[in-house]
Amino acid sequence: MSRYGSRSSFDLEWIERWARKVNDDRILPVIGRFFTSKFVLGFDDTEYLVDVRGGKIQKIAQGLTPNDMGVEFWLKAPSSAWSKFAQEIPPPMFNDIWAMAHPLHKQLIIEGNSLPFWQNLRALTRMLSLMRQV
Amino acid sequence: MNTHDPIVGRYVYVQCEGKTYRTYYEEHGEGIPMVCLHTAGTDGRQYRHQLCDPDISSNFRVIAFDMPWHGKSIPPADFHLMEDEYKLTTKFYCEFIVAFCRALDLRKPVLMGQSMGGNICLALALRYESEFSAFIALEACDYSPGWWIDPLHHPHIHGGEVVATSVFGLMAPQSPDDYRWETWWYYAQGGPGIFKGDLYFYSVDSDFRDQCQKISGKVPIYFLTGEYDFACTPEMTQRTAEKVKNSECIIFGGGHFPTSEDPVKFKEVVTPVLKKILSADPERRGQGGNALSGRSVSDSRSAGRGERPGEGRKVIEF
Repeated sequence: MSRYGSRSSFDLEWIERWARKVNDDRILPVIGRFFTSKFVLGFDDTEYLVDVRGGKIQKIAQGLTPNDMGVEFWLKAPSSAWSKFAQEIPPPMFNDIWAMAHPLHKQLIIEGNSLPFWQNLRALTRMLSLMRQV
Repeated sequence: MNTHDPIVGRYVYVQCEGKTYRTYYEEHGEGIPMVCLHTAGTDGRQYRHQLCDPDISSNFRVIAFDMPWHGKSIPPADFHLMEDEYKLTTKFYCEFIVAFCRALDLRKPVLMGQSMGGNICLALALRYESEFSAFIALEACDYSPGWWIDPLHHPHIHGGEVVATSVFGLMAPQSPDDYRWETWWYYAQGGPGIFKGDLYFYSVDSDFRDQCQKISGKVPIYFLTGEYDFACTPEMTQRTAEKVKNSECIIFGGGHFPTSEDPVKFKEVVTPVLKKILSADPERRGQGGNALSGRSVSDSRSAGRGERPGEGRKVIEF
């Protein structure tokens, strides 16, 4: 996307492109060696399951089904916020997931079990920052 | 030929609240003493660029110390018997800074602090204004909630990595990667629970919203905040500065750790402030005779890493 452009929608195709960026990354297997989790990215009312093993994405899916057991946490934000986050140079207050989630700003909501979120914050931060290369 | 920074490090024994603290500090320069306060959970290395900058050190005796529990300053001897987790309080923080300055026989130093070191300037201006000649409060405001949280000290979470990553986004994306990751590294090296304990001061024990107006204004306070600071936003600093007499507020394109994340940018921003301080205190400036020019510091990211002898040394371009 353009450096300062905005994104109108985050569809599954876009999520797939992001997942491929994640799996091509050569740092994540190192810092995310123990990052194994299922989590959900929420863009407005649309949810994407992200199944991670050892820092690599094994599966993505739009929406959850009864078979999607073991989801640990949800990261939910308006698509307008994700759009700013995904800019190559994101604007202040949208350049980081903790910045967006911080109680002062509340652009991103963390739901579920936040322990694996914090345990894997370094790898997760890098993983999500690769949205800027999609 | 080896390359050295001009910084000298020493230990001084500081008495505070009935205990003795072996306290590490680094210094360089001559002139007006300027004591520098690091951010939560880290240490005085955040000021390594300013300590080495001849434009600053020819006019100021720059001193950066590590608070107890931080960097090379050890905790009190009986810390393992504490019946509560480490928590920095406004009272102790104020008293320790004053005790440190007295231990070094400093007379009316300038105090420069960032983040929690910036916020404490407000308390010192209220309680100890006669001890200081000016405050430079970086990334400071009168209330900064939301940071005293358990994930920052939890046995199931790697403290160093989570602490360092939690602050990474406070830096501006435009700041040089090498310096941002060096700052990350400082954070990753903090003692267990120390960052969180400092944030007890930062987010809980330092609500100055109803006290700022009481600062007399006898000592100038310069507020400088970067636009990417999501813990102390430019608006939070501006609102604070509006309440503080004899203050100035400067918002710049940077982040929460200006001295270490982008020292070149920081020099541009702080130089006019240092000039004002020098103008107000001409008799105490250093003998170097160099007026602060605002000349840019050359990129010193490789300083001390020894790619080629002499290459890492800071060079000031005229």
